[in-house]
Amino acid sequence: MVNEKTSAIIKRNLLSENQVLRAILGICSSLAVTNTMRNSLVMGLGVAFVTGLSSLTLSAMRNIIPHRVRMLVQTLVIAAYVIFVDLFLQAFLPDISKQLGPYVGLIITNCIIMGRAEAYAQQNPPLPAALDGLFAGLGYTMVLLGISFIREVLGFGTLFGMNVNFIRFETWTIMIMPPAAFFIIGGMIWFMSARAAGKAAKAK
Amino acid sequence: MAPNINPIIIFIASIFTSNMILSNFLGMCSYLSVSSEYKTANGLGMAVTLVLVLTTAINWLVYTYIIVPPERYYLQYIIFIMVIAALVQILEMGMDRYTPDLHAKLGIFLPLITVNCAILGVTLFMVIRHYNFIQSLLFGLGSGLGWWLAINMLAAIREKLANAKLPPGVKGPALSFIITGIMAMAFIGFSGIFTIQ
Amino acid sequence: MKRGHVYTLFFMTILTAVLVFALAAAYEAFKPSITTNKLLQEQRAVLYALGIDDDLSDEEVRTRYAESVQPGAVGGITEAYGQPVLAHMEGGNAIAYAVPFEGSGLWGSLRGYLGITADLTETRGLVFTYQNETPGLGGRIDESWFKEQFRNLPIAAGVELAYGANPEYKIDAVTGATQTSSAVMRTINKSLSEIVFPKEVK
Repeated sequence: MVNEKTSAIIKRNLLSENQVLRAILGICSSLAVTNTMRNSLVMGLGVAFVTGLSSLTLSAMRNIIPHRVRMLVQTLVIAAYVIFVDLFLQAFLPDISKQLGPYVGLIITNCIIMGRAEAYAQQNPPLPAALDGLFAGLGYTMVLLGISFIREVLGFGTLFGMNVNFIRFETWTIMIMPPAAFFIIGGMIWFMSARAAGKAAKAK
Repeated sequence: MAPNINPIIIFIASIFTSNMILSNFLGMCSYLSVSSEYKTANGLGMAVTLVLVLTTAINWLVYTYIIVPPERYYLQYIIFIMVIAALVQILEMGMDRYTPDLHAKLGIFLPLITVNCAILGVTLFMVIRHYNFIQSLLFGLGSGLGWWLAINMLAAIREKLANAKLPPGVKGPALSFIITGIMAMAFIGFSGIFTIQ
Repeated sequence: MKRGHVYTLFFMTILTAVLVFALAAAYEAFKPSITTNKLLQEQRAVLYALGIDDDLSDEEVRTRYAESVQPGAVGGITEAYGQPVLAHMEGGNAIAYAVPFEGSGLWGSLRGYLGITADLTETRGLVFTYQNETPGLGGRIDESWFKEQFRNLPIAAGVELAYGANPEYKIDAVTGATQTSSAVMRTINKSLSEIVFPKEVK
């Protein structure tokens, strides 16, 4: 894995090993904020920022971190970046900060971040690690945007807050409510694993 | 200044009307990965409930007496997560030493719990809603029981479906999500179960 | 590489110190704009409740607020739940009031303002400044379709607002959030009966 090409890192994280759809990580914080695209975008970028920088930091320190307190160090570094994101949102995007509320703090427990730190940043030099983290986060953002696209269009008839309900259909309240998020992500995972199974069958 | 809400109502509401998993999407990772067997799911549910009650109580004290007086609100996330990590560690060591039976049953789940979003989530909700100590405690207990209930239900349904004939690709996490979606819909029916007064 | 306890302790101390210092610096740097934002959000909320919000920019909110909002009094009451009663002034006369309300939702406190006309016959609008209901369920009370239903409703002493189809108006509750919806109504009616029409209190 050490000399993996940049393009391979990107492709792996966005598609074939997408953390949400293939590894089923980071679901916790992803669903609650997906009823509008604006919230999803900000949340996703926040996560990408934290994953990228924490992977960079942890990889740079990988030779001086005492092994037995490794997890503690990871948590500390991640929490520090999350607090920074939280302060940033409060200062520059107050409306979104108010809507995301405690879900920003919950980025700390997003398994993707710690997963990348454990699985990749520990053995790899800082730059590839940062790239890997960043794109794992962007893969997550992509999924969030996909889910919220469906939920916002059908639930509110809007996209990023702009009205796209040209035919004036009755909006589906269920889309804004929690169950819809489960159904949509279930469907997406179904599609991705069927696709992977098909590919594996072909390879044989 | 705590809101004037009966703690019993918070307790019932956190199990049914606003379940940690089914309405707040918290604690999904372990919920999905440890639900293929009813027995293990039950063990994890018990461990989560125990840790939730303890961390909620301790974090409430930490927040009220350590974070609020010097107004170090911006450090709260880091402090809460450290308290949770430390508590889980101590709990594991204590269990190993004094109740080996319980440790054999719950011990393997404890490390998973530190990164369970539900634990930090309950603490953050408790803080942002300004609950008093009793309200927080019952909120923690209710959320834990609600989480336990949800994972048990999912595990039971998955065991029943383990031998069913299903379309390719739906088996595994996709199926769990669809089941959870149906459970979430059913739980919306609880929204009018009692009246606040 | 084997390292002793001393190294571990030393490492953790340094790391914690560096992180806390960095965060404290970030907090100090962001603090002014966080404070400004809080004030601005409150002012925007009051303007919305008074029905004078038309997608104003931050600057417009400041000027509009400074121009037309002053501390006011409804029936001699100038303050409720720790918040001032505010008046919308036009040509030296109050034409509307923003009356604070506070109560308990399903999960936590609900706080906000109810805008009413100066002759106490109609509402102007409803806004929440603090609510922590479940996102996607009770949290939907903060969506504009819900709040917009509270514009220009008839109010009178001893009459309570209610959901459903009423003779002169219709208000929908939030689906799947019965408790939160009724908590909102109860809180508003309490504010109306205690502050706006205090003689009606039994």
